[in-house]
Amino acid sequence: MNNYAIETRKLTIFYGENRVINRVSLKIPKNVVFALMGPSGCGKSTMLRAFNRILELNKDAKIMGKVFLMGQNIYAPNIDPSDIRRKVGMVFQYPNPFPHLTIYENVAMGIKLNGLLKSKEEVERRVKWALKRAWLWDEVKDRLQDYPSNLSGGQNQRLIIARALALKPKVLLMDEPTANIDPVGTRKIEDLIYSLKEEYTVVIVTHSPTQAARVSDCVGFLYLGKLVESGRTKEIFERPQHELTEKFVTGELV
Amino acid sequence: MWKFSLRMAKDRVFIVAVSAFTILTVYPLLHIIYSVARNGLPVIMERGPTFFTGGMSEAGIGPAIAGTFLLVLLSSLIGLPIAFLVGVYAYEYPDSLIGRTTQALLQIMLEFPTVLVGVFVMDIIVLPMGTFSALAGAFALAIIMMPYVAVYTKEAMRQIPFTYREASFGLGVGRVKAIFRILVPLAKRGITTGILISMAKVAGETAPLLFTAGGLYESYPTSVTEPVGAIPLLIYTLIQSPSKDAHSMAWGASLVLLIFFLGVFIPIRRSLKVVRL
Repeated sequence: MNNYAIETRKLTIFYGENRVINRVSLKIPKNVVFALMGPSGCGKSTMLRAFNRILELNKDAKIMGKVFLMGQNIYAPNIDPSDIRRKVGMVFQYPNPFPHLTIYENVAMGIKLNGLLKSKEEVERRVKWALKRAWLWDEVKDRLQDYPSNLSGGQNQRLIIARALALKPKVLLMDEPTANIDPVGTRKIEDLIYSLKEEYTVVIVTHSPTQAARVSDCVGFLYLGKLVESGRTKEIFERPQHELTEKFVTGELV
Repeated sequence: MWKFSLRMAKDRVFIVAVSAFTILTVYPLLHIIYSVARNGLPVIMERGPTFFTGGMSEAGIGPAIAGTFLLVLLSSLIGLPIAFLVGVYAYEYPDSLIGRTTQALLQIMLEFPTVLVGVFVMDIIVLPMGTFSALAGAFALAIIMMPYVAVYTKEAMRQIPFTYREASFGLGVGRVKAIFRILVPLAKRGITTGILISMAKVAGETAPLLFTAGGLYESYPTSVTEPVGAIPLLIYTLIQSPSKDAHSMAWGASLVLLIFFLGVFIPIRRSLKVVRL
Protein backbone atom coordinates (compact mmCIF):
# COMPACT_ATOMS: atom_id res chain seq x y z
CA MET A 1 0.00 0.00 0.00
CA ASN A 2 1.30 3.41 -0.90
CA ASN A 3 0.71 6.42 1.28
CA TYR A 4 2.52 8.98 -0.79
CA ALA A 5 1.01 11.40 -3.28
CA ILE A 6 4.35 11.85 -4.99
CA GLU A 7 7.52 9.90 -4.56
CA THR A 8 10.73 10.37 -6.51
CA ARG A 9 13.57 7.87 -6.72
CA LYS A 10 16.98 9.11 -7.74
CA LEU A 11 15.37 11.77 -9.90
CA THR A 12 18.05 13.39 -12.04
CA ILE A 13 17.41 16.14 -14.57
CA PHE A 14 19.77 17.51 -17.19
CA TYR A 15 19.44 20.66 -19.26
CA GLY A 16 21.74 19.76 -22.11
CA GLU A 17 25.01 19.02 -20.33
CA ASN A 18 23.97 20.75 -17.13
CA ARG A 19 22.87 18.60 -14.24
CA VAL A 20 20.10 20.62 -12.57
CA ILE A 21 18.67 17.97 -10.25
CA ASN A 22 20.94 15.36 -8.80
CA ARG A 23 19.61 12.00 -7.58
CA VAL A 24 16.76 13.35 -5.51
CA SER A 25 14.69 10.81 -3.59
CA LEU A 26 11.73 12.50 -1.99
CA LYS A 27 8.44 11.42 -0.44
CA ILE A 28 5.42 13.70 -0.33
CA PRO A 29 2.54 12.39 1.83
CA LYS A 30 -1.10 12.76 0.78
CA ASN A 31 -3.25 15.69 1.89
CA VAL A 32 -0.49 17.94 3.09
CA VAL A 33 1.00 21.17 1.88
CA PHE A 34 4.55 20.32 0.93
CA ALA A 35 6.97 23.19 0.44
CA LEU A 36 9.94 22.70 -1.82
CA MET A 37 12.25 25.46 -0.69
CA GLY A 38 15.70 26.62 -1.60
CA PRO A 39 17.60 29.61 -2.90
CA SER A 40 17.04 30.94 -6.44
CA GLY A 41 18.44 28.72 -9.16
CA CYS A 42 18.61 25.56 -7.05
CA GLY A 43 16.33 23.63 -9.41
CA LYS A 44 13.03 23.80 -7.51
CA SER A 45 10.90 24.90 -10.45
CA THR A 46 12.54 22.36 -12.73
CA MET A 47 11.88 19.58 -10.29
CA LEU A 48 8.26 20.65 -9.82
CA ARG A 49 7.75 20.45 -13.59
CA ALA A 50 8.89 16.83 -13.57
CA PHE A 51 5.90 15.97 -11.35
CA ASN A 52 3.34 16.58 -14.12
CA ARG A 53 5.62 15.93 -17.10
CA ILE A 54 5.27 19.55 -18.24
CA LEU A 55 9.07 19.68 -18.25
CA GLU A 56 9.00 17.74 -21.51
CA LEU A 57 7.85 20.89 -23.32
CA ASN A 58 11.43 22.01 -22.86
CA LYS A 59 13.34 20.11 -25.49
CA ASP A 60 16.70 20.38 -23.72
CA ALA A 61 15.47 18.71 -20.56
CA LYS A 62 16.37 15.09 -19.96
CA ILE A 63 14.78 13.24 -17.07
CA MET A 64 16.18 10.14 -15.38
CA GLY A 65 15.10 8.19 -12.34
CA LYS A 66 11.53 7.57 -11.30
CA VAL A 67 8.53 9.63 -10.24
CA PHE A 68 5.49 7.95 -8.72
CA LEU A 69 2.07 9.56 -8.50
CA MET A 70 -0.15 7.71 -6.03
CA GLY A 71 2.13 4.73 -6.51
CA GLN A 72 2.06 4.85 -10.32
CA ASN A 73 5.28 5.40 -12.25
CA ILE A 74 4.41 8.40 -14.41
CA TYR A 75 7.40 7.91 -16.72
CA ALA A 76 6.44 4.34 -17.60
CA PRO A 77 6.28 3.90 -21.38
CA ASN A 78 2.53 3.21 -21.52
CA ILE A 79 1.61 6.44 -19.70
CA ASP A 80 0.03 9.32 -21.64
CA PRO A 81 1.47 12.58 -20.26
CA SER A 82 -1.92 14.24 -20.78
CA ASP A 83 -3.49 11.91 -18.20
CA ILE A 84 -0.83 12.88 -15.69
CA ARG A 85 -1.31 16.60 -16.38
CA ARG A 86 -5.04 16.27 -15.79
CA LYS A 87 -4.42 14.62 -12.43
CA VAL A 88 -1.73 17.10 -11.43
CA GLY A 89 -2.84 20.72 -11.82
CA MET A 90 -0.39 23.56 -12.06
CA VAL A 91 -0.21 27.18 -10.89
CA PHE A 92 2.54 29.38 -12.25
CA GLN A 93 4.90 32.01 -10.93
CA TYR A 94 3.39 34.68 -13.12
CA PRO A 95 -0.43 34.50 -13.20
CA ASN A 96 -1.11 33.39 -16.79
CA PRO A 97 -4.83 33.28 -17.54
CA PHE A 98 -5.43 33.00 -21.28
CA PRO A 99 -5.83 36.66 -22.24
CA HIS A 100 -8.15 35.94 -25.18
CA LEU A 101 -10.66 34.00 -23.08
CA THR A 102 -13.21 35.36 -20.63
CA ILE A 103 -13.00 34.60 -16.93
CA TYR A 104 -15.66 31.93 -17.41
CA GLU A 105 -13.96 30.41 -20.44
CA ASN A 106 -10.60 30.28 -18.69
CA VAL A 107 -12.06 27.95 -16.09
CA ALA A 108 -14.33 26.05 -18.49
CA MET A 109 -11.73 25.44 -21.23
CA GLY A 110 -10.02 22.44 -19.62
CA ILE A 111 -13.35 20.77 -18.86
CA LYS A 112 -14.65 21.34 -22.39
CA LEU A 113 -11.51 20.29 -24.27
CA ASN A 114 -11.17 17.17 -22.17
CA GLY A 115 -14.86 16.38 -22.62
CA LEU A 116 -15.17 15.79 -18.88
CA LEU A 117 -18.75 16.95 -18.62
CA LYS A 118 -21.51 16.55 -21.17
CA SER A 119 -24.17 19.18 -20.57
CA LYS A 120 -23.77 22.93 -20.47
CA GLU A 121 -25.43 23.03 -17.04
CA GLU A 122 -22.87 20.62 -15.61
CA VAL A 123 -20.01 22.71 -16.97
CA GLU A 124 -21.57 25.86 -15.51
CA ARG A 125 -21.99 24.17 -12.16
CA ARG A 126 -18.36 22.97 -12.20
CA VAL A 127 -17.04 26.42 -13.13
CA LYS A 128 -19.05 27.97 -10.32
CA TRP A 129 -17.80 25.33 -7.90
CA ALA A 130 -14.16 25.87 -8.92
CA LEU A 131 -14.41 29.65 -8.63
CA LYS A 132 -16.03 29.27 -5.20
CA ARG A 133 -13.39 26.81 -4.09
CA ALA A 134 -10.69 29.26 -5.18
CA TRP A 135 -12.44 32.01 -3.19
CA LEU A 136 -12.98 34.09 -6.29
CA TRP A 137 -16.69 33.61 -7.01
CA ASP A 138 -18.00 36.59 -5.03
CA GLU A 139 -15.55 38.92 -6.77
CA VAL A 140 -16.29 37.79 -10.32
CA LYS A 141 -19.84 36.38 -10.32
CA ASP A 142 -21.22 39.54 -11.98
CA ARG A 143 -18.55 39.72 -14.67
CA LEU A 144 -17.86 36.19 -15.81
CA GLN A 145 -17.86 37.41 -19.41
CA ASP A 146 -15.15 39.98 -18.63
CA TYR A 147 -11.55 39.38 -19.60
CA PRO A 148 -8.95 38.51 -16.95
CA SER A 149 -6.92 41.63 -17.76
CA ASN A 150 -9.40 43.53 -15.60
CA LEU A 151 -8.57 41.47 -12.52
CA SER A 152 -5.84 42.18 -9.98
CA GLY A 153 -2.74 40.00 -9.76
CA GLY A 154 -4.07 38.15 -6.73
CA GLN A 155 -7.45 37.59 -8.38
CA ASN A 156 -5.74 36.33 -11.52
CA GLN A 157 -3.73 33.86 -9.49
CA ARG A 158 -6.89 32.58 -7.83
CA LEU A 159 -8.40 32.30 -11.30
CA ILE A 160 -5.46 30.06 -12.23
CA ILE A 161 -6.12 27.97 -9.14
CA ALA A 162 -9.78 27.70 -10.19
CA ARG A 163 -8.69 26.71 -13.71
CA ALA A 164 -6.61 23.90 -12.21
CA LEU A 165 -9.26 22.80 -9.69
CA ALA A 166 -11.95 22.59 -12.38
CA LEU A 167 -10.32 19.39 -13.65
CA LYS A 168 -10.59 17.87 -10.14
CA PRO A 169 -6.90 17.01 -9.89
CA LYS A 170 -5.36 14.94 -7.12
CA VAL A 171 -2.29 17.09 -6.72
CA LEU A 172 -1.73 20.83 -7.20
CA LEU A 173 1.71 22.11 -8.10
CA MET A 174 2.42 25.75 -7.36
CA ASP A 175 5.55 27.42 -8.66
CA GLU A 176 6.20 30.49 -6.46
CA PRO A 177 2.49 31.38 -6.64
CA THR A 178 2.86 34.64 -4.73
CA ALA A 179 6.11 35.91 -6.24
CA ASN A 180 4.29 38.56 -8.27
CA ILE A 181 1.41 39.28 -5.91
CA ASP A 182 0.95 42.16 -3.43
CA PRO A 183 1.00 41.39 0.34
CA VAL A 184 -2.78 41.38 0.77
CA GLY A 185 -3.25 39.07 -2.21
CA THR A 186 -0.42 36.89 -0.94
CA ARG A 187 -2.09 36.49 2.43
CA LYS A 188 -5.34 35.41 0.82
CA ILE A 189 -3.61 32.92 -1.47
CA GLU A 190 -1.62 31.44 1.41
CA ASP A 191 -4.82 30.96 3.43
CA LEU A 192 -6.41 29.36 0.39
CA ILE A 193 -3.46 26.99 -0.08
CA TYR A 194 -3.74 25.94 3.53
CA SER A 195 -7.44 25.18 3.13
CA LEU A 196 -6.90 23.14 -0.03
CA LYS A 197 -5.04 20.32 1.67
CA GLU A 198 -8.26 18.81 2.98
CA GLU A 199 -9.05 17.62 -0.56
CA TYR A 200 -5.73 17.84 -2.37
CA THR A 201 -2.03 17.43 -1.95
CA VAL A 202 -0.34 20.76 -2.61
CA VAL A 203 3.30 21.06 -3.59
CA ILE A 204 4.48 24.64 -3.43
CA VAL A 205 7.84 25.92 -4.58
CA THR A 206 9.16 28.91 -2.65
CA HIS A 207 12.45 30.69 -2.10
CA SER A 208 11.16 32.16 1.13
CA PRO A 209 11.66 30.08 4.29
CA THR A 210 9.09 32.20 6.10
CA GLN A 211 6.45 31.35 3.51
CA ALA A 212 7.36 27.68 3.77
CA ALA A 213 6.96 27.93 7.55
CA ARG A 214 3.59 29.70 7.21
CA VAL A 215 1.86 27.38 4.75
CA SER A 216 3.44 23.95 4.84
CA ASP A 217 3.16 20.79 6.90
CA CYS A 218 6.17 19.18 5.31
CA VAL A 219 9.16 20.66 3.65
CA GLY A 220 12.11 19.70 1.51
CA PHE A 221 15.24 21.82 1.28
CA LEU A 222 16.92 21.80 -2.10
CA TYR A 223 20.39 23.21 -2.61
CA LEU A 224 22.33 23.17 -5.89
CA GLY A 225 20.15 20.38 -7.25
CA LYS A 226 20.49 18.14 -4.22
CA LEU A 227 17.97 17.41 -1.52
CA VAL A 228 19.65 18.45 1.71
CA GLU A 229 16.88 17.26 3.98
CA SER A 230 13.14 16.86 4.22
CA GLY A 231 10.54 16.15 6.87
CA ARG A 232 7.85 17.80 9.01
CA THR A 233 8.13 21.56 8.69
CA LYS A 234 8.12 22.05 12.46
CA GLU A 235 11.01 19.68 12.97
CA ILE A 236 13.09 20.99 10.10
CA PHE A 237 12.71 24.56 11.29
CA GLU A 238 13.27 23.80 14.97
CA ARG A 239 15.94 21.12 14.70
CA PRO A 240 17.62 21.22 11.29
CA GLN A 241 20.03 18.32 10.88
CA HIS A 242 22.20 20.09 8.39
CA GLU A 243 24.16 23.29 8.70
CA LEU A 244 22.99 24.51 5.27
CA THR A 245 19.38 24.06 6.27
CA GLU A 246 19.90 26.00 9.44
CA LYS A 247 21.49 28.84 7.51
CA PHE A 248 18.61 28.86 5.03
CA VAL A 249 15.78 28.85 7.54
CA THR A 250 17.41 31.59 9.58
CA GLY A 251 17.79 33.69 6.46
CA GLU A 252 21.57 33.65 6.26
CA LEU A 253 21.64 31.80 2.97
CA VAL A 254 20.12 33.60 0.06
CA MET B 1 30.42 83.37 -28.83
CA TRP B 2 30.40 80.69 -31.45
CA LYS B 3 33.32 78.34 -31.50
CA PHE B 4 33.90 75.86 -34.26
CA SER B 5 33.66 72.34 -33.00
CA LEU B 6 34.48 69.43 -35.25
CA ARG B 7 32.29 67.13 -33.21
CA MET B 8 29.23 69.36 -33.61
CA ALA B 9 29.93 69.85 -37.31
CA LYS B 10 30.13 66.12 -37.91
CA ASP B 11 26.89 65.69 -36.06
CA ARG B 12 25.13 68.28 -38.26
CA VAL B 13 26.48 66.82 -41.49
CA PHE B 14 25.39 63.38 -40.45
CA ILE B 15 21.84 64.45 -39.58
CA VAL B 16 21.46 66.39 -42.83
CA ALA B 17 22.74 63.45 -44.85
CA VAL B 18 20.48 60.93 -43.16
CA SER B 19 17.43 63.18 -43.56
CA ALA B 20 18.22 63.71 -47.23
CA PHE B 21 18.52 60.01 -47.89
CA THR B 22 15.33 59.30 -45.99
CA ILE B 23 13.44 61.83 -48.11
CA LEU B 24 14.98 60.39 -51.26
CA THR B 25 13.76 56.91 -50.33
CA VAL B 26 10.25 57.94 -49.40
CA TYR B 27 9.82 60.42 -52.23
CA PRO B 28 9.22 57.90 -55.04
CA LEU B 29 6.50 56.20 -53.03
CA LEU B 30 4.74 59.48 -52.29
CA HIS B 31 5.14 60.49 -55.90
CA ILE B 32 3.55 57.27 -57.08
CA ILE B 33 0.59 57.79 -54.80
CA TYR B 34 0.33 61.42 -55.89
CA SER B 35 0.54 60.79 -59.63
CA VAL B 36 -1.85 57.85 -59.52
CA ALA B 37 -4.35 59.98 -57.63
CA ARG B 38 -3.89 63.01 -59.91
CA ASN B 39 -4.24 61.05 -63.12
CA GLY B 40 -6.73 58.50 -61.93
CA LEU B 41 -9.21 60.62 -60.01
CA PRO B 42 -10.39 62.74 -63.00
CA VAL B 43 -11.02 59.56 -65.01
CA ILE B 44 -13.13 58.02 -62.27
CA MET B 45 -15.00 61.31 -61.63
CA GLU B 46 -15.74 61.74 -65.31
CA ARG B 47 -17.07 58.25 -65.92
CA GLY B 48 -18.92 57.86 -62.65
CA PRO B 49 -20.27 54.55 -61.32
CA THR B 50 -20.08 52.94 -64.78
CA PHE B 51 -16.32 52.83 -64.33
CA PHE B 52 -16.76 50.33 -61.51
CA THR B 53 -19.54 48.29 -63.07
CA GLY B 54 -19.36 48.54 -66.84
CA GLY B 55 -17.46 46.38 -69.29
CA MET B 56 -14.65 47.51 -71.56
CA SER B 57 -16.97 48.88 -74.28
CA GLU B 58 -18.66 51.12 -71.72
CA ALA B 59 -15.19 52.24 -70.59
CA GLY B 60 -15.59 50.41 -67.29
CA ILE B 61 -13.40 47.98 -65.39
CA GLY B 62 -16.17 46.05 -63.61
CA PRO B 63 -15.15 42.60 -64.91
CA ALA B 64 -11.52 43.22 -63.90
CA ILE B 65 -12.56 44.16 -60.36
CA ALA B 66 -14.77 41.08 -60.17
CA GLY B 67 -11.92 38.99 -61.60
CA THR B 68 -9.48 40.22 -58.96
CA PHE B 69 -11.92 39.39 -56.20
CA LEU B 70 -12.58 35.97 -57.72
CA LEU B 71 -8.86 35.24 -58.03
CA VAL B 72 -8.10 36.37 -54.48
CA LEU B 73 -11.00 34.29 -53.16
CA LEU B 74 -10.03 31.16 -55.09
CA SER B 75 -6.33 31.42 -54.30
CA SER B 76 -7.18 31.89 -50.61
CA LEU B 77 -9.33 28.77 -50.67
CA ILE B 78 -6.49 26.81 -52.24
CA GLY B 79 -3.55 28.30 -50.39
CA LEU B 80 -4.63 29.44 -46.92
CA PRO B 81 -5.49 26.11 -45.26
CA ILE B 82 -2.29 24.40 -46.39
CA ALA B 83 -0.06 27.37 -45.63
CA PHE B 84 -1.62 27.78 -42.20
CA LEU B 85 -0.97 24.14 -41.34
CA VAL B 86 2.60 24.36 -42.65
CA GLY B 87 3.18 27.43 -40.47
CA VAL B 88 1.82 25.70 -37.38
CA TYR B 89 3.91 22.64 -38.12
CA ALA B 90 7.08 24.68 -38.56
CA TYR B 91 6.36 26.33 -35.21
CA GLU B 92 5.71 23.10 -33.36
CA TYR B 93 8.57 21.07 -34.84
CA PRO B 94 11.26 23.60 -35.78
CA ASP B 95 14.10 21.09 -35.40
CA SER B 96 12.56 18.18 -37.30
CA LEU B 97 13.79 17.40 -40.79
CA ILE B 98 10.50 18.50 -42.32
CA GLY B 99 10.46 21.59 -40.10
CA ARG B 100 13.92 22.70 -41.21
CA THR B 101 13.31 21.87 -44.87
CA THR B 102 10.05 23.78 -44.80
CA GLN B 103 11.80 26.73 -43.26
CA ALA B 104 14.45 26.83 -46.01
CA LEU B 105 11.85 26.28 -48.72
CA LEU B 106 9.68 29.10 -47.42
CA GLN B 107 12.61 31.50 -47.46
CA ILE B 108 13.36 30.61 -51.07
CA MET B 109 9.75 30.91 -52.13
CA LEU B 110 9.49 34.37 -50.60
CA GLU B 111 12.19 35.57 -52.98
CA PHE B 112 11.20 33.45 -55.98
CA PRO B 113 10.65 35.29 -59.31
CA THR B 114 6.89 35.34 -59.66
CA VAL B 115 6.92 35.13 -63.43
CA LEU B 116 8.41 31.65 -63.16
CA VAL B 117 5.44 30.61 -61.06
CA GLY B 118 3.24 31.70 -63.96
CA VAL B 119 5.29 29.67 -66.43
CA PHE B 120 5.12 26.63 -64.18
CA VAL B 121 1.35 26.82 -63.75
CA MET B 122 0.92 27.34 -67.48
CA ASP B 123 2.80 24.13 -68.01
CA ILE B 124 0.89 22.01 -65.53
CA ILE B 125 -2.64 23.47 -65.78
CA VAL B 126 -3.16 25.77 -68.76
CA LEU B 127 -1.63 23.51 -71.41
CA PRO B 128 -3.42 20.29 -70.30
CA MET B 129 -6.73 22.15 -69.98
CA GLY B 130 -6.18 23.87 -73.31
CA THR B 131 -7.39 27.21 -71.98
CA PHE B 132 -6.52 30.05 -69.63
CA SER B 133 -8.70 29.94 -66.57
CA ALA B 134 -9.50 31.53 -63.23
CA LEU B 135 -8.44 28.26 -61.67
CA ALA B 136 -4.95 28.42 -63.19
CA GLY B 137 -4.54 32.08 -62.18
CA ALA B 138 -5.70 31.33 -58.66
CA PHE B 139 -3.34 28.39 -58.41
CA ALA B 140 -0.38 30.59 -59.39
CA LEU B 141 -1.41 33.23 -56.85
CA ALA B 142 -1.82 30.54 -54.20
CA ILE B 143 1.79 29.46 -54.70
CA ILE B 144 2.92 33.03 -54.13
CA MET B 145 0.63 33.50 -51.17
CA MET B 146 1.52 30.38 -49.23
CA PRO B 147 5.03 31.18 -47.98
CA TYR B 148 3.84 34.54 -46.62
CA VAL B 149 0.98 33.00 -44.71
CA ALA B 150 3.14 30.16 -43.42
CA VAL B 151 5.94 32.44 -42.23
CA TYR B 152 3.54 34.91 -40.62
CA THR B 153 1.66 32.09 -38.90
CA LYS B 154 4.86 30.60 -37.54
CA GLU B 155 6.17 33.95 -36.34
CA ALA B 156 2.84 34.84 -34.72
CA MET B 157 2.87 31.54 -32.86
CA ARG B 158 6.46 32.01 -31.79
CA GLN B 159 5.54 35.31 -30.15
CA ILE B 160 3.34 33.48 -27.64
CA PRO B 161 5.13 33.50 -24.26
CA PHE B 162 6.25 30.06 -23.12
CA THR B 163 4.14 30.26 -19.98
CA TYR B 164 0.91 30.03 -22.07
CA ARG B 165 2.29 26.94 -23.73
CA GLU B 166 2.86 25.41 -20.32
CA ALA B 167 -0.59 26.49 -19.19
CA SER B 168 -2.36 24.97 -22.18
CA PHE B 169 -0.47 21.68 -22.12
CA GLY B 170 -0.88 21.70 -18.34
CA LEU B 171 -4.63 21.26 -18.82
CA GLY B 172 -3.90 17.74 -20.06
CA VAL B 173 -5.63 18.28 -23.39
CA GLY B 174 -3.00 16.80 -25.68
CA ARG B 175 -0.92 18.48 -28.35
CA VAL B 176 -3.50 18.95 -31.10
CA LYS B 177 -6.11 20.54 -28.87
CA ALA B 178 -3.58 22.64 -26.97
CA ILE B 179 -2.31 24.07 -30.24
CA PHE B 180 -5.47 24.48 -32.28
CA ARG B 181 -7.97 25.28 -29.53
CA ILE B 182 -5.85 27.48 -27.27
CA LEU B 183 -2.56 28.65 -28.79
CA VAL B 184 -3.75 29.37 -32.35
CA PRO B 185 -6.68 31.50 -31.09
CA LEU B 186 -4.17 33.28 -28.85
CA ALA B 187 -2.11 34.22 -31.92
CA LYS B 188 -5.21 34.96 -33.98
CA ARG B 189 -4.36 38.59 -34.55
CA GLY B 190 -0.90 37.95 -35.92
CA ILE B 191 -2.13 35.13 -38.13
CA THR B 192 -4.99 37.23 -39.51
CA THR B 193 -2.52 40.01 -40.27
CA GLY B 194 -0.39 37.62 -42.29
CA ILE B 195 -3.42 36.38 -44.20
CA LEU B 196 -4.61 39.89 -45.06
CA ILE B 197 -1.15 41.02 -46.12
CA SER B 198 -0.75 38.03 -48.39
CA MET B 199 -4.20 38.64 -49.90
CA ALA B 200 -3.35 42.29 -50.55
CA LYS B 201 -0.08 41.20 -52.10
CA VAL B 202 -1.55 38.69 -54.55
CA ALA B 203 -4.32 41.13 -55.46
CA GLY B 204 -1.59 43.34 -56.90
CA GLU B 205 0.38 40.64 -58.70
CA THR B 206 0.69 40.77 -62.49
CA ALA B 207 3.43 38.41 -63.57
CA PRO B 208 1.93 35.11 -62.35
CA LEU B 209 -1.30 35.93 -64.21
CA LEU B 210 0.30 36.67 -67.57
CA PHE B 211 0.26 33.09 -68.81
CA THR B 212 -2.53 31.74 -66.62
CA ALA B 213 -5.60 33.95 -66.19
CA GLY B 214 -6.04 35.01 -69.80
CA GLY B 215 -8.13 38.13 -69.27
CA LEU B 216 -11.85 38.90 -69.52
CA TYR B 217 -12.93 42.52 -69.67
CA GLU B 218 -16.18 42.72 -71.59
CA SER B 219 -18.37 40.50 -69.42
CA TYR B 220 -18.31 39.23 -65.87
CA PRO B 221 -16.69 35.86 -65.12
CA THR B 222 -19.15 32.98 -64.88
CA SER B 223 -16.96 29.92 -64.54
CA VAL B 224 -13.66 29.11 -62.85
CA THR B 225 -12.54 27.01 -65.80
CA GLU B 226 -12.79 29.95 -68.19
CA PRO B 227 -10.45 32.93 -68.59
CA VAL B 228 -10.77 35.74 -66.11
CA GLY B 229 -9.48 39.31 -65.85
CA ALA B 230 -7.71 41.13 -63.04
CA ILE B 231 -6.99 44.80 -62.36
CA PRO B 232 -3.17 44.60 -62.57
CA LEU B 233 -3.39 42.48 -65.70
CA LEU B 234 -5.79 44.99 -67.25
CA ILE B 235 -3.44 47.88 -66.44
CA TYR B 236 -0.61 45.98 -68.12
CA THR B 237 -2.72 45.38 -71.23
CA LEU B 238 -4.04 48.95 -71.42
CA ILE B 239 -0.61 50.55 -71.10
CA GLN B 240 0.65 48.57 -74.09
CA SER B 241 -2.08 50.05 -76.27
CA PRO B 242 -1.19 53.30 -78.09
CA SER B 243 -4.61 54.85 -77.50
CA LYS B 244 -4.87 57.79 -75.13
CA ASP B 245 -8.24 56.56 -73.88
CA ALA B 246 -6.70 53.26 -72.87
CA HIS B 247 -4.01 55.10 -70.92
CA SER B 248 -6.44 57.20 -68.94
CA MET B 249 -8.44 54.08 -68.19
CA ALA B 250 -5.26 52.48 -66.90
CA TRP B 251 -4.77 55.42 -64.53
CA GLY B 252 -8.29 54.96 -63.23
CA ALA B 253 -7.73 51.25 -62.73
CA SER B 254 -4.43 51.99 -60.97
CA LEU B 255 -6.20 54.23 -58.50
CA VAL B 256 -8.75 51.49 -57.77
CA LEU B 257 -5.92 49.03 -57.17
CA LEU B 258 -4.05 51.51 -54.99
CA ILE B 259 -7.12 52.22 -52.86
CA PHE B 260 -7.76 48.51 -52.44
CA PHE B 261 -4.13 47.92 -51.48
CA LEU B 262 -3.84 50.82 -49.05
CA GLY B 263 -7.29 50.05 -47.66
CA VAL B 264 -6.03 46.67 -46.56
CA PHE B 265 -2.47 47.67 -45.74
CA ILE B 266 -2.71 50.85 -43.69
CA PRO B 267 -5.04 49.48 -41.00
CA ILE B 268 -2.86 46.38 -40.73
CA ARG B 269 0.40 48.27 -40.50
CA ARG B 270 -1.05 50.48 -37.81
CA SER B 271 -2.05 47.55 -35.65
CA LEU B 272 1.06 45.59 -36.50
CA LYS B 273 3.26 45.33 -33.49
CA VAL B 274 3.04 41.64 -32.84
CA VAL B 275 4.44 40.25 -36.03
CA ARG B 276 7.62 40.96 -37.92
CA LEU B 277 8.67 39.16 -41.04
